[in-house]
Amino acid sequence: MNAASLPLLQNALTVGAILFSLGLVGILTRRNLIVMFLAAEMMLQGISVSLVAWSRYHGDFGGHVLVIFVLTVAACEAAVALVFVLQAFSRTGRLDAAAWQSLREATVGRTIDRELPAVDTVPPRFPTLTPAGVQPATDADDALEREHV
Amino acid sequence: MNNQSLSLLLVLVPLLPLVGAVATVLLGRRLGRSAHLPAVAGIGAAAAVAIVLLGVTARDMSATHGPVETISTLWQWASIEGAAADASGADAAATRGLSIPVAVRLDPLTATMLTIITCVGLLVAIYSTGYMHGDPGYPRFFALVAMFVFSMAMLVMASNFLLVYVFWEAVGACSYLLIGFWFTKPEAAKAAKKAFLVNRVGDFGLAVATFLIWMSFGTLDFHDTLSPQGVIVPGVLGQTRLADPDGYFLPAAAGFSGAAVGTAICLLLLLAACGKSAQLPLHVWLPDAMEGPTPASALIHAATMVTAGIYLVARTAPLFVAHPGALTLVSIVGATTALVAALIGTVQNDLKRVLAYSTISQLGYMFASLGTGTLLGFTAAIFHLLTHACFKALLFLGAGSVMHSMGGVIDMRRFGGLRRVMPITAATFLVGSAALAGVAPFAGFFSKDEILAALHAKGWPDAHGGHADHDDAAPTDGRAAVGRPVRLASVGPVSFSTARRSPAAAGDAPARDLPDADRDALALVAPSAGGRDRGVPLDALDTPATWRLLFWMSLVTAGLTAFYTFRAVFMTFTGPLRLPEGAGHGHGHDDGHAAAHDHDHAPAHAHDGGAGHGHGHGHGDHAHGADGHGSLESPPAMTLPLVVLAVASAGIGWLLFATNWLAHFLAATPSLTASAVARTAVPHVFHWDLAIQGTLAAVCGIVVAAIGHLGRRSDGPQMERFLGPLGTLFANKFYVDQIYAWCIVRPLELLAAVAAIFDRTVIDGAVDAVGGIPGAIGGVLRRSQSGLLQRYALAGVLGVLSIVVLLAWQLRG
Repeated sequence: MNAASLPLLQNALTVGAILFSLGLVGILTRRNLIVMFLAAEMMLQGISVSLVAWSRYHGDFGGHVLVIFVLTVAACEAAVALVFVLQAFSRTGRLDAAAWQSLREATVGRTIDRELPAVDTVPPRFPTLTPAGVQPATDADDALEREHV
Repeated sequence: MNNQSLSLLLVLVPLLPLVGAVATVLLGRRLGRSAHLPAVAGIGAAAAVAIVLLGVTARDMSATHGPVETISTLWQWASIEGAAADASGADAAATRGLSIPVAVRLDPLTATMLTIITCVGLLVAIYSTGYMHGDPGYPRFFALVAMFVFSMAMLVMASNFLLVYVFWEAVGACSYLLIGFWFTKPEAAKAAKKAFLVNRVGDFGLAVATFLIWMSFGTLDFHDTLSPQGVIVPGVLGQTRLADPDGYFLPAAAGFSGAAVGTAICLLLLLAACGKSAQLPLHVWLPDAMEGPTPASALIHAATMVTAGIYLVARTAPLFVAHPGALTLVSIVGATTALVAALIGTVQNDLKRVLAYSTISQLGYMFASLGTGTLLGFTAAIFHLLTHACFKALLFLGAGSVMHSMGGVIDMRRFGGLRRVMPITAATFLVGSAALAGVAPFAGFFSKDEILAALHAKGWPDAHGGHADHDDAAPTDGRAAVGRPVRLASVGPVSFSTARRSPAAAGDAPARDLPDADRDALALVAPSAGGRDRGVPLDALDTPATWRLLFWMSLVTAGLTAFYTFRAVFMTFTGPLRLPEGAGHGHGHDDGHAAAHDHDHAPAHAHDGGAGHGHGHGHGDHAHGADGHGSLESPPAMTLPLVVLAVASAGIGWLLFATNWLAHFLAATPSLTASAVARTAVPHVFHWDLAIQGTLAAVCGIVVAAIGHLGRRSDGPQMERFLGPLGTLFANKFYVDQIYAWCIVRPLELLAAVAAIFDRTVIDGAVDAVGGIPGAIGGVLRRSQSGLLQRYALAGVLGVLSIVVLLAWQLRG
């Protein structure tokens, strides 16, 4: 089984390396927090592929077991990471990681590759109708009921 | 009384004041106005115990007819095996270990000192309840006084040089705290600092002397002890060594002859004594110490602590007697101090300062007496110490009483004629002055006469029964034992001279391996190569001519003493009544003022002048009150001790001289009775010629003082003007303070300024530079903190890559 599966191992390792490299490049080049997270997951999967390949090659299920375990952990971690991303978004209104560079040392200058678009701070104006006629008398019970519907 | 209960009593003497002090510290605030109770009770009980011990010792003395000594070792403080590499000569094996037992001793000298300390302490404590009344530091004062009595009692009881050193420092600390009692007053704080620093010079002498004693004797104990091996270690003043005629001929050490080392020890002890007892050239602290409360001055700076130096020299008498050069120097220092201080005292206008210089002068007398090295000299010194404690405490307390009533004014030019308003103070002060001046029936007369006799015997040996024992080939230079040996001299008449030394100890150690600095340090006492075995050059001082000079100096001092004492009396108590502005202290010329009584005694001493104090009756009121009965007299708590001390000053000299009891009693001290000192004993006689000379000097002084000051207004520097340039010299205290300022204080201040600059620039600079290193590194690293996630990730990747590369490199290699 060992000798026969050597090409399989090589292929699998190649795929794993490609996945890992792609993830690495993604995490280093992309600024969108969700994409960065996806890239990190991709690196993780690259490692998992390698593990499974080696496991298969050695005929040892330890690698498989470890990969299953990693998947579980990755699922949990995804949940936590997404919470962070959501929180970050609700703070800044952006998914851009560079929006957080204000956490740098005070003496270090800001890094600007491209000016971020200004945040829209003016509340959106919705069309309104001119009030006309007589305001009908409100029925308290009806209002309560509507509220509960 | 068995030994155990004696030991218990012995321990009680210092313990009771200590308990009093601690109780005052703990309960002082709660007790308020009665904060004096624990201290007074403790000191009073200690005084009672001390008197019992005195009686026990006296009984033992008459029972044994020999040295009386009780040693009680309380516990072993330290015990170090093999502490010394080379102890003295043949006993080296036995004396290798250093053991410091907390041992107290009882012998006649200690018993006498204890009685003086506790009794004067008690009287002063009682007096202070009146004097310090209402002071915010009332409990603190009594705690310190009790603490002082404890320390001083331990100092005279300790049977070990290290313990002596400990309590030597303890009394110094109490003195410092009491001088600086009103520490908010800048002069008081300064005076306390000065006293402490000047004393430090002397303490240094005692410390080095202790080291030298350990090196040369191999033990620090006074008494003989038993080593763990069961060998008797002869103590420095133990009876084994005292009985050995060669006991104090030290072996040569480090290239110096034994005589040089021994003389060095004596000189260092003398330095210590000079510091504590305010002798030339370390006398400058005592006059300034008058900034403290007057009762503290009376107790510490007149009666007890300043006599610690006398005690130390008297205690180590055998050591001094073996080194005549050092002994003579003791007398020279003493007589010179006595004369110089008396001269300064003649132009002082501050009543307390007159007394301070008088104290220095009288202590000089005692040193002059100690320096004679005869039994008469030693007992006379202690006799004078005793009488001086009585009459000087009396004078100080009297001055305090005056100060109390004058609202803190102590300048004699600002008041006069006080005998009309303070009759008790005036009468007792007069008794004290007569005692100090040496007027016939009073205490000072007898003790001074004995001192003069001791000096006279050294200057004119033939006039005092001739040379009894010039049996030795060695020249004894007139300091041979004088007179016939009495009962106490059991060893027989043997001349004791430095020429007799044990042959084994001949100075054979080469001096080559000694650093030059050390040689220079001992050059003062070290002889030139040839004379190493025969003593030290200092011994050449010991000639009858020296002693004659010292005798005449002392006689002149006696006259001066009488003069300045009565000058003070006349200026203060005679003439027309004059009162300073703030003399609002009189406690009511009618009984209706009783309610305001307490308020009246609030201390105005802290703020000189005390303007507007009391309930505002002016000058006229006082003059009016003066017509009646002593309206300014101090309260009974203050006058009672005055009366007691006056009775003592009047009677004690006559009593002790007529019976010669004290001399007999002190002669039973082991270090006096079993050593060479005892061989100098002479029969007790009253020297009419000396008494007449002394009295003449005193009468001359009193007459001159009367001519100058009796009944006159004196509010200017009359004495100074009268004496001309000499007066200026005296008024400036021989410029000693200025000399110290220019020679020591200023250079030290300059050095301190240079050191401060060095500290601020070099040392602080170095520290700051080291402190700057992390900051600088941080400054470089800080730039990497860009806040960009990608850069951090890149740094991580690069780190992992470098680890991988490194591992690969290692695996390959």
